[in-house]
Parts: sequence; C-alpha cells; structure tokens
Amino acid sequence: MAPILELRGITKQFPGVLANDHIDLALHKGEILALLGENGAGKSTLMNILYGLYQPDEGEILINGETVKINSPTDAINQGIGMVHQHFMLIPVFTVTENVMLGDESVKAGGFLDRPKAAQRIQEISSSYKLEVNPNDYVRDLPVGVQQRVEIIKLLYRNAEILIFDEPTAVLTPQEADELFNIMRSLVAQGKSIIFITHKLREVLAIANRVVVIRRGKVVGETTPEAADKNSLAAMMVGREVNLVVKKKETTPGDVVCSIQDLVVADKFGNVVVDDISLDIRAGEILGVAGVQGNGQTELVEAITGLTKIASGKITLLGQDISKATPRQITELGSAHVPEDRQADGLVLPFPVAENLVLCSYHLPPFSKGVILQYDTILKNAEKLIQDFDIRTPSPLTSVGSLSGGNQQKVIIARELSRPIQFLVASQPTRGLDVGSIEYIHKRIEQKREEGCAVLLVSPELDEIMELSDRIAVMYRGKISAVVPNKGISKKYIGLLMAGVVPEEPMQVSEETEIEATL
Amino acid sequence: MNKRVITLLSLLIVVGMLLAACGTTATEAPAAKIKVCQITDTGGIDDKSFNATAWKGIEDAITQLGIEGKYLESKEVADYEKNLNAFVEEKCDLIVTVGFLIGDATKATAEANPDIKFSIVDYAYDPAVPNIVGQVFNTDEAAFLAGYLAAGVTKTGKVGTFGGLPIPTVTIFMDGFAKGVAKYNEVKGTNVEVLGWDPANPDSGLFSMSFDDQQKGRELAVSLMDEGADIIMPVAGPVGLGAAAAIKERGNAYLIGVDSDWFLTSPEYADITLTSVMKLMDATTMQVIKSVIDGTFQGGVSVGTLANNGVALAPLHNLESLASAELLAEIEQLKADIIAGTLSVK
Amino acid sequence: MSEAQTEKKDLGQAILKEIIPPPEEEAHKKSFWKSISIPALAILTGLLIGALMIAATSSTVWAAFGESIWRGFGTAFKEIGTAYQALFTGALGDPVRIVRALGSGDAKEIRSALNPFLESLVQSTPYIFTGLAVAVGFRSGLFNIGVEGQLFIGAAAATYVGYSITGLPAFIHMPLALLAGALGGAFWAFIPGYLKAKTGGHEVINTIMMNWIAFRLTEWLLSGPMSRPGSGGMPLSPLIQKSAEIPQFFQAPIRFHLGFIIALAVAWLIHWLLFKTTWGLNLRTVGTNPRAAKYAGLSTTKSIITAMLISGALAGTAGAVQILAVNRSMALGLSSGYGFDSIALALIGNNTPLGVILASLLFGTLRNGATRMMVVSAIPIDIVDVIQAIILMFVAAPAIIRAIYHLKKPKKEETTIFVSGWGGK
Repeated sequence: MAPILELRGITKQFPGVLANDHIDLALHKGEILALLGENGAGKSTLMNILYGLYQPDEGEILINGETVKINSPTDAINQGIGMVHQHFMLIPVFTVTENVMLGDESVKAGGFLDRPKAAQRIQEISSSYKLEVNPNDYVRDLPVGVQQRVEIIKLLYRNAEILIFDEPTAVLTPQEADELFNIMRSLVAQGKSIIFITHKLREVLAIANRVVVIRRGKVVGETTPEAADKNSLAAMMVGREVNLVVKKKETTPGDVVCSIQDLVVADKFGNVVVDDISLDIRAGEILGVAGVQGNGQTELVEAITGLTKIASGKITLLGQDISKATPRQITELGSAHVPEDRQADGLVLPFPVAENLVLCSYHLPPFSKGVILQYDTILKNAEKLIQDFDIRTPSPLTSVGSLSGGNQQKVIIARELSRPIQFLVASQPTRGLDVGSIEYIHKRIEQKREEGCAVLLVSPELDEIMELSDRIAVMYRGKISAVVPNKGISKKYIGLLMAGVVPEEPMQVSEETEIEATL
Repeated sequence: MNKRVITLLSLLIVVGMLLAACGTTATEAPAAKIKVCQITDTGGIDDKSFNATAWKGIEDAITQLGIEGKYLESKEVADYEKNLNAFVEEKCDLIVTVGFLIGDATKATAEANPDIKFSIVDYAYDPAVPNIVGQVFNTDEAAFLAGYLAAGVTKTGKVGTFGGLPIPTVTIFMDGFAKGVAKYNEVKGTNVEVLGWDPANPDSGLFSMSFDDQQKGRELAVSLMDEGADIIMPVAGPVGLGAAAAIKERGNAYLIGVDSDWFLTSPEYADITLTSVMKLMDATTMQVIKSVIDGTFQGGVSVGTLANNGVALAPLHNLESLASAELLAEIEQLKADIIAGTLSVK
Repeated sequence: MSEAQTEKKDLGQAILKEIIPPPEEEAHKKSFWKSISIPALAILTGLLIGALMIAATSSTVWAAFGESIWRGFGTAFKEIGTAYQALFTGALGDPVRIVRALGSGDAKEIRSALNPFLESLVQSTPYIFTGLAVAVGFRSGLFNIGVEGQLFIGAAAATYVGYSITGLPAFIHMPLALLAGALGGAFWAFIPGYLKAKTGGHEVINTIMMNWIAFRLTEWLLSGPMSRPGSGGMPLSPLIQKSAEIPQFFQAPIRFHLGFIIALAVAWLIHWLLFKTTWGLNLRTVGTNPRAAKYAGLSTTKSIITAMLISGALAGTAGAVQILAVNRSMALGLSSGYGFDSIALALIGNNTPLGVILASLLFGTLRNGATRMMVVSAIPIDIVDVIQAIILMFVAAPAIIRAIYHLKKPKKEETTIFVSGWGGK
C-alpha cells in the first residue's frame, strides 16, 4: 500500500540558505512520525511547504500515491492535511464551537449559522478521540492544554487525515504533555496519521513510531525509538557526539562578588514580589535559582541588573552599593546579563548582528571615538565573535531578527561573555533552544565559572539548575525557601521546595542519582 | 496575463504618449486674441467669493469679447510668485490677481515686467504702480441699503452680522450695514438693534476668524438667532453657507448674502435669501479687460460704486412681499442720493 | 512613569509597526535595479493612472469619442501627450529651448529656459526639511504629526527675528533668523516630547493638538503683534530685512536659493548623526526596541526628548527657509501641508535621509511641473495630488505593484533600511 503522504526530492532555496535539500519522506497511515532536528534545520520550511505556505523549488508531494499541488493552506485542508501551530490560531472571545466553525461554517437555510449542528459534531469528535472539551466554553476561559485540543478538533472537524504538530509541547506543562500524548495515540489508533515536529528527545522516544532526523536541510537518518537512545539521537541531530552532561571541574568559591541583603521589590501595582531576600554569590561559583515561573525570579534579576527600582534592602557588587545604580553603571562595573526574553530585552531585532554585539558597549572606546562610531572596529569585533562563538549568520550585517533562536541567543552570549566580567546574571539562558545550542551555552557558562566569574543562574528548568549549579536557592512566592549545596540532593526534594512544601528530612537522597538532561 | 504582456502594454502606452506629445508641439494661440490670466489666492477658483467672481468676469469676457482666459490656483504663499512667473512666461496680456495677500508678489512681478498689464482685486497701491489697476469697492454703499432694508423688514427689532476676519474689506460691509440700520432708526424713530458689529467699537465685533469653517458660521448664526436676530448678514465667504444652513433649519429668520447674488449662486437657500450685497468684481474685471482691448488701460485705482455698478443691492426675488412698496421706494431714493453724492455713508 | 510607558504597548508603537515594514533581511546584496524597481514602477503606474484620469475628465476627449472610437483614442492620446509634455517641460525644462537660449546669449531668456529645473529644486526644499523631521521621529520611535505646527512656529520665529532686528550684517542676521526658526520648531516639539517622556502622554495626540495651537497662535501673532503696519488687521507680517534674506542666486524668474544647498547639507548631517554616531544609535535603539534600550542602559526619556528636539528643529527650519528665501514675509497660507505630505514622503524614502531627498525631489518636481500642465491644458493641479497619492499607495503596499507586474516576492520582506547605515562599507 502506498504511504498516505510522500515527499520526493523537496528542495527549497532561500537567499544564502538551502533550507531543504532533496528531502524524501514517507508517512504511513496510522503512524506517528517524529521529525527531529535542531532549530533552523529546515523542519518548519518543510512543513510550510506541505501546508501550502511556501512553494518548493523542486520535488513533488504525493497523497495516497497521487501527485498533488498545494498552493495554499486551503488546498492543504482540502487534501486532508491539518496543522496544529505552536501559537494557537484561536479567537479568545469566541466559544469553542464558534472557533471550530470559523471558516467552515455550517449554515441553515437563509444563511444563519447552525451552531447546534456544529456543536453536536464537536461533541462526537470529542468523545471518539478522547478530546474532552465543552463546545460552549469561551476559549479565553480554557487552559492552554484544552485550547490545543480545540485546535486539534478544528482539524478533525475539517476531516483532516494527516495532522502536523509543530512543537506542540513547548507551551504545555508536563501533565498536559502526557495528556496530549494520549490523545495522539488515540488519533492514530483510529487511523489518523501524525507528523510530530520537535527537538525534545525524550518526547520522541516516548511517542513516535518512527523518527526522521533532519540536519541542515537534509535527511540524515531514520530510526525507531527502540533502536535509538537520547545520545544517539542527539548525535544524529547535531552531527557529532554530544555531551548531555557537562563535566564540571572542581573549583573553590572565592570572595563574595555580589551580595544581596534584605531585598524587597514591589511590582507596579505595589504588590511585594521579592520579599526580603538575602543571597551571596561568590567568585567561581554558580548559584542556581530554582522555582516555578512567576515566583519573583524575574523581578529579582531586574533588581540586580538595575532595571527595576528596589523598595528596600541593599545590593552590593564588587564592594560598591548598586541599589540605586543604572543598568549602564552596573554593566560598567563588570557585570553581564543574559536576559530572560532575548527578543524583547536582549536584542534589537532589525539591527545587524554587528550592532547587537556592541549594544552595551558602543558608547565606549574602541567602538566609538567621542560620539563617532568606529564601524571598522565594530565589524572586526563582530567577525571575531562570530568566529569565537560559532554564530551562524550570513554576515555581520545580517539583521539579528533573521537568525534562528539559538543563534540569536549566541549573539547575546557572545556580547555578554566576551567582555571582561566578574559577575554574570543568566536568566533562562537556554529557553526554547535545541540540543546543540543548549550544550554550547552550558559549556560557556561553566567556562566563565572556571575563570572565576560569579554566576547567578535563574531557570524554571530544574534539570538545568541541577546540572550547572554549585548551590541552589529555591524561590517560592518571592522568598528564598532554602539555599542548599548541589551535592547529593534529590530532584524530588527541590521539586517539593518549588511547590512550597518544606520536606522534613532536609537531604533526602533518593535512588535517582542520575541527573536527567533537560531534553 | 503574464508579466511580459503587461510590460509590453505599458511600454506601448508610454511610447504612444510620447509620440502624441511630439505631434503637438507648442500650442501657440492666434496672435489676435488677447490673453487674460487669473491667479487665485489659497481659496481656490471655486471659493464662492472673490476668486470665483473675478473669474466670472473673465469667463464673461471670453464669451462676449472672444478673449482667451486661463487661471492658476495657489496652494500656498510661495505659489504666488511661481504662478505669476508662469503667466509672464505664457505671455499673458493681462494678469488678474485676487486679494491683499498677493499684493507684494504682484507688485514685484509687475515692476519686473513693465510691458505686462496687471489688475488686483480688493487692493490698491499707494503710490500707484503704472501697470497695475487696483480694484477696490465702496461696498458700504450697497451694505447701507441692505441695512436700511433689514431694519424695515425685521419683526424682532434685531438684525445681526458677523465677519470672517477683522480686516477692512470685511468690516466695510458691516459698517455700511450698521449705518443703514441707524439711518432707518433716525428716519422712522425706531430702535432696531444691530448684533455683532458696532462701528464705534470695532473691537466688540463678531468674527468667525476663518473663511472656510462652515461649522463656525453655523454656531455664530445660531447664537445671533438665540439673541433675537431675524436677519443675518455673514461676511465670511463660504462660512456664510454654514450660517445659511442654520437659518434654514430654524425657519424664522432671513439671510443677506454678500459678494454675489446668493439667490442665484446658492439656490438651495433661495427661499431664505432676503437680498445680497453684491460686490461685482466680475463687472469691474470686465471693465479692466475692455480697457486693455481698447487701449485705454491705465494704472491706478478703480473704485466700484453704486454709480458705476461696481457694487449693488441684489433684487429681493421671491421675498419681495416682505418689504412694503414704500420701503423699496425709500431704498431707491437712498440709492439715488448716494449716487448723486448728497448722502454719505461714511 | 516613563518606565511603565515603554513597556505597555501603546498606540504609537502599533501605528509605527503598521506603517513601517519590519526590516528583516539585510539588503547589501540587493542589486540596484531591485532596490529601485518598486518605486520606479510605482511612479510609472501613478503616471499611467493619472493619464487615464486626464483622458477621462476631459470634455474634448468625450466629445471625440462621441464621433468615433478612433478619434476618441486619438484625442485622448493627444490630450495626455500635451499634459505630460507640459508636466515634463514645466518640471525640468524644454531641452530645445535651453539650447536655443544658450545660443542666443540673451540672459533673461537663458534664465527663463533654465528656470523650470531650478524651480523644481526650490519646490523640493521644504519637503526635504519636513521629510527629515518626520524620518528622524520615525527612526526614534516617535510619530511626529506636529511637523506642520512646528513649521509655523519656526517660520514665525524666523520672521520676527528677520524683520524686527535691524542693522546687522547679513552673515550674522540670516543665520540668526534661521537659528530662531530651528529653535522655535524645536521648542514646539519639545513640549509634546517632554510630555511623552515624563508622563507618557501620547505624542500623536499631543502633536496634533500643538498643531492647532500653533495655527491659532500664528494667526493671532500675524493679525496682532506681528501684523504689518497698514494691513488693517489682515494676517500678514512685515517684510523681513534684506540682511535676513537667504540669498537667491539668480535674477527673476529664478528663485533657486541657498536654502536648497542648506537642505542637502542638513540631510547629510542627519545621516551622519543617525548612522555614524553613538547619539544616532541611541535614538535608533530606543526607537526600535525601547526595552532592549533600557536593558542596554540607555535613557528612553532623554532619547525621546532629543529626537523631538531634532525633529522640531528640522520642521522649524523648513518654515524659516521658506520665509527667508522665498516668501520674505509671513502669511497664514505659508504651507500647502508640508508637515502632512512629509509623513508620506518619509515613508517613500524609507526614513533614510537619501530616500527623503529623492522623494522630495519627486514631489517638488511633480508639483512644479503641474503648474505648467495647468497653464497649457487646464488640467487641475489636483491631478498631481492624485498621482502622488497613487505612487504613495503603491510604495506603501508593494504587494500591489508586484501583483500588477508579476514581480517575484522577495524571500523575506526586504527593505533598504540598514543599507545607508553601513553605506560605503
């Protein structure tokens, strides 16, 4: 039997980039095919071709053995191809029914919407695929996981046979992700076929029937979860052996570089979001701040970097009081900041890479003389950093917005770590990045630690914290609930602290001593 | 269609246009016709005010005297000189400019081109420029008659007026109007009041401070009517149309038009237009054109008066029943007295 | 305060995002033809549609169509040909006449023959200044709709200095009057800039309000304190002193003046400032991503105020140059809407000084040619507004032009926005 979907020799050229290079791919009925690749490997381009958003330069698409031409998403839907985007395409103030009907409205005689009929079909779909949802709820009231179900129902409502999931777990909690996997299994059990795009190895191993790995626009391998493990998949993806666990050298923490005393920060509504925190960060150590997002970590970082006014307390950096200092003064003292939201805070996306690489230092020599920018120096600096930090960009003049997320983050890392710094604040430095980039950035941070830099690492990814930190501070509702050395403590223990529970036995070492990678 | 066809087609059109352009070299007019060219101020050619009226004089001359006429609109002050230059370049025989604000530019161009004749509406040079005729108007003579008429027609004993800007060409209407009312009071022993203007106290006058904001005209008319005026004379160009609309809505007041006969130029307000104080710039412009044709053109000032039909009171048309025959006769007599010089409206 | 305001998504940012295409792909490899193809085709299309309108609004053409189709087409082509020939010769001069005039050696005739081209430059001058004013605002994340008002205040300030001070030598008086104009405009822009920086009051709203205040204020000034003696309250200022005049280089009818050269110099200065100095990078960073600017340690407050001051000074200079070089006295009909046209113009020019100059030359040339077109064929000057509007529409929505001419869509939306920043590298 012919595969339900087959891509033959799909090639797509963008200026300077061969995004897809003769990609062959077959999807069989009733299977979950994982498409694995780093960011920028060409997965999204391929799926956009399949969904009619791009036209391939070469190659053909076959559905059930017949060549088809897909010129638009409408064509794709008519061919039974549906896509669940990473960012949902739902209208919050509409009900589930209305959202599902949108664009494919059932009408009664006279052009009136036939909501009951649509609602009934949604009910049917929902019960047969275990997609629990109430058709009359407003989308804005639904949790993210349920909104995603609405997206899936939309596709099934349009009789999609091939479902493409683009990084579907990026926005989900672990529990929601598990539920999604159940739904996916039930979909294929009933004859649907799924392409699952991801760069998370754990998910691939958990759910896929077959795995196709793409690297730099080419299919570089195909395997099954049974025949593979995380390391082999990561190696295929990146093209070399990947160390998923950073080997840490022993260092002896030195003097206190940054000292926080009784820090209180209020948000703009006057609510206390950082509540009386005291911490010392020493040279040559990484202090990890763990905690579920939204427990005051963001504000803590903003206070230390001068972006937010502090209500009370004192912050000292290298012996100087920086409680009231401006971001620039703090930077010039020898501090670096990798911000949480790289696109919003860390980069000026339309500006070229070269300018972004001097964003915090262009007002200083050698990048400017007086008020005149020295573009020769700025360009040379960019060329050097692009080399040193392996930033993949066509040229230093390319606007940073056109780079992949990993490379954007590398621009920030390069800018911040290339300066002579003694203190590094890294906030979610690997958010949304792929294996290769995560490994790289972790190595760089570790390297700074070895050079004697004090590092404050803030991340909601417990794995990342446990892997890198010398000490771990757990933040819960604006307070530090504990600071513990990262030796022989269990993930469960930290997990409980993050949830606000103080375990009775402080150092409960469990059997799971092996640290799982963040993947 | 594909790209090539489109490109080809566009090319064809362009080439066609170029060919056509080559075919029509220099549009020289027959030497016999004299060429009269008008430059408007920033109000434009259809301002329902002096630009339009002066152009009407040229249009009349085109049909009656067979001259050639052209006009250019100015969008800003810097255009005056540019447009004047364009017409000098075009070798116009007479260039008509309109309004006080073009005064400087007209003078400069006239002095640089002594062989071209100029005429400027509503402005006079002191000392006179040999190749410019300034057209000014004793509008107060006609406005005086309008005031007398209004005082005789009003039922509330109150009449109103407002101006565009407190400038002489505007206030002269209001002066004449107020003095006409005063004359009526003096003759009849009545006490008809003028709202919006007092010749003795010009600072208290009512002005829209605009010549194009019709909403402002509407507001001023409403407030005058609220104070009891049942006849209103707006001296503010198109702003008056806003006043007309407000009067028509109320339905119990009348309008006196200015510059042209509004009964004819704004027929939608014909049934509320009592009369109009006409400043017949078309007639005076026509006279200047005639003087160019017959070679009697001489720089200086041409004053439009009741006597030479440069200003006039329009007929009452459909509303003649509002005025008694006796009143109309008195107005005819006043007109005769003014023409004869036995009555001064100053 | 200013911190909160940079974080919340405000109207201005939203508008800016809508009207300024997000620059994504750097364009240094783009060929010259590609970078001018859209504007060039937009101009061509504008002229073609304008031609259709000329033909469609001409009674002669309709009459000819009444006789026969061919006659109709013939007449239409003739009308369009006459009109566009006039547009061309009116804007750039008639080559035959120029050659003849040069041959004849008659000075006045030479001046007249060369005047159209030079007059186009005169017409372009205020556009350059106001276009730069808007572009500096856009680059700094500010939508300065108050350029018109700032132009009026600048003109009033320059006029006052120009006529009231006597006895100064020209090399002091003229620059002084020009400076007064720049300061007047800067002051007028400073108010909304300050309000935005310190209170978050929106510059779009405030600059519009400041426009009205400026119009009424100048009206009052011109009919009151600054009115010309003997004008009887007519809003007109006295003539400026000879020593304050920006010199015109030739005798009548050529009005070509030093202001045009000043405009080019100022455009170069703005280019240098925006793209070669730390100040410019500050402004552009705050303008493009205020949060990143804050992260990088820049003061948004300072940047907003600086940008408004520069923008206002440029607008004020536009008014001052117009008074000192062309009008020589101030009346209310000072501007045909330069402050508003310049918004369109800055967009066509992609908010780069060079682009602004080119777009200004286009606007100035069209407007100048339109005069001749109207003299010759009585086509209303407004047709040029229509052509300008069509060109603008096509430049702002390149997709239409691409669709009409079946151009390939670039892989990523291209803009030339950074090219000039790195010009010459």
